[in-house]
Amino acid sequence: MNRPAAGLGIAPRRTVVSWVHHHRQAASSSLLRALRVPVATGLTWLVVGIALALPASLLVILQNIEAVTSDMRSPARFSVLLESGTSLNSAQDILSRVESRVDVRDVTLIPKDQALARFAADTGLVGLLDSIPDNPLPHTLLVNPLASVESEGLSELAQGLKVVRGVDQVVFDTLWQARLAGVLQAGRRLVMGIGLLMMMGAVLILANTIRLAIDARRDEIVVIKLIGANNAYARRPFLYTGLWSGFGGGLLGAIMVGAFFIYLSEPVNQLLQLYNSDRRFTGLGIMGVLNMMFLGGTLGLLSAWHAATSQLRELEPR
Amino acid sequence: MIEFNRVSKRYADHDALRDISLTIGTGEMVFLTGHSGAGKTTFLRLLMLLERASMGTLRVDGRDTARIKGRNIGRYRGEFGIVFQDHQLLYDRSVLENVALPLEIAGFRPRDIQRRTRAALDKVGLLGREKANPAVLSGGEQQRVGIARAVVARPRFLIADEPTGNLDPQLSAEIMGLFEAFNRVGVTVIVASHDLALISRLRHRIVTLKTGRLLAGAGL
Repeated sequence: MNRPAAGLGIAPRRTVVSWVHHHRQAASSSLLRALRVPVATGLTWLVVGIALALPASLLVILQNIEAVTSDMRSPARFSVLLESGTSLNSAQDILSRVESRVDVRDVTLIPKDQALARFAADTGLVGLLDSIPDNPLPHTLLVNPLASVESEGLSELAQGLKVVRGVDQVVFDTLWQARLAGVLQAGRRLVMGIGLLMMMGAVLILANTIRLAIDARRDEIVVIKLIGANNAYARRPFLYTGLWSGFGGGLLGAIMVGAFFIYLSEPVNQLLQLYNSDRRFTGLGIMGVLNMMFLGGTLGLLSAWHAATSQLRELEPR
Repeated sequence: MIEFNRVSKRYADHDALRDISLTIGTGEMVFLTGHSGAGKTTFLRLLMLLERASMGTLRVDGRDTARIKGRNIGRYRGEFGIVFQDHQLLYDRSVLENVALPLEIAGFRPRDIQRRTRAALDKVGLLGREKANPAVLSGGEQQRVGIARAVVARPRFLIADEPTGNLDPQLSAEIMGLFEAFNRVGVTVIVASHDLALISRLRHRIVTLKTGRLLAGAGL
């Protein structure tokens, strides 16, 4: 019998240093491996990119619409149309009564002659309106509620104005804004729903890619586990494969969104100019691109973790 | 020291090992022999923790292997060098990269990996072929790469499962000579082989298995 062997001889590096080294090595070898098969890698990135680009595009469109409509929003205001036979003096009395309400900030009377003159000037129908014997417009009160009055209070104010003697009709000017806000909220939820579905699709695609990668390298995994690698070591390159696929997909998705917005921006900006808006159609921006890459990377890492852990658990040797 | 104490391994339809009690001393070289299906591979698989014993106790350097938890198995296997009959080399890597694998897993510095890998290749007579792909090497050379990989991290135990199964008598003798050389520097060597003519010429203990039972050469 001989003198016993000393074991590993020169000691390996400290655990943290070697852990960092393994990570660096796994990261670079996974990236190089991916770049060695550009077509397959490109297709994976493209699929992930499309899955991220669609909801991202819808979200950015929605954000642009919200920005534009926020410019158009004004504080709530009621137009109170008085009965057609109401005299100017009676209109002044009604103004006083409305103005005395605690939920009203101020009231402006627009006499019907002034309203007709403005309408004629705005529409260019001066000649036509001159030919009408009687002014068809009523006196109108523009009622601005207090800023603190919100939806229920506004409804109560509307009801209160409707029952004032001499009032024919109350028009709440911000109803269309409430409807638009509702549409935008529904749109946002729709985008979130679509985004979630698309991201689930991306996760499944990435997980499948990792499963195929593990299958293709099954022999190598068996060998390295037989010679002392644990599951974490065997799993590491696949986690980086998932991470790179997600990053690449996110970057490609951002490029697709960017191209789409360049294509769309000219006609949309022209439209905005026609509406005298100072706004310009805006795309993702640098933060948006980084967010897409981060999201893609996170999805890639999670997919790879799930796929690699379950695959390696089933693989001999354990 | 490796101690099998009344170890049995039972599969669903048969007993692969039955009531094995055997001690292999530190620095010893042992041949494990027997016909196909005698239990040689199961014996080695139990030692590498690729399988767990159904009954009995297996101790390695005093450690009860049944108590080694999953996350520590990799480190435990790192104490062994293993040589396969079919080499189990990675053909998308060079000879050098194949041999360096155990050192990378163990976390050695790149310069130490280079130095020790070249030293291991020198010992098996393959220095100068480190950049070659293993696929272009002969069967004997591939087996030497496998041996270099098994010993590069200076394991305390060297296990070989039919390492000369695909080689001609001359190459087989050379490979056995390498195992003896490593044993001379203190490595405990266990070689499973059914080539009785070859192993009987070498002066080491022979342990014979027959249908899962120990026939001769055992000693507690």
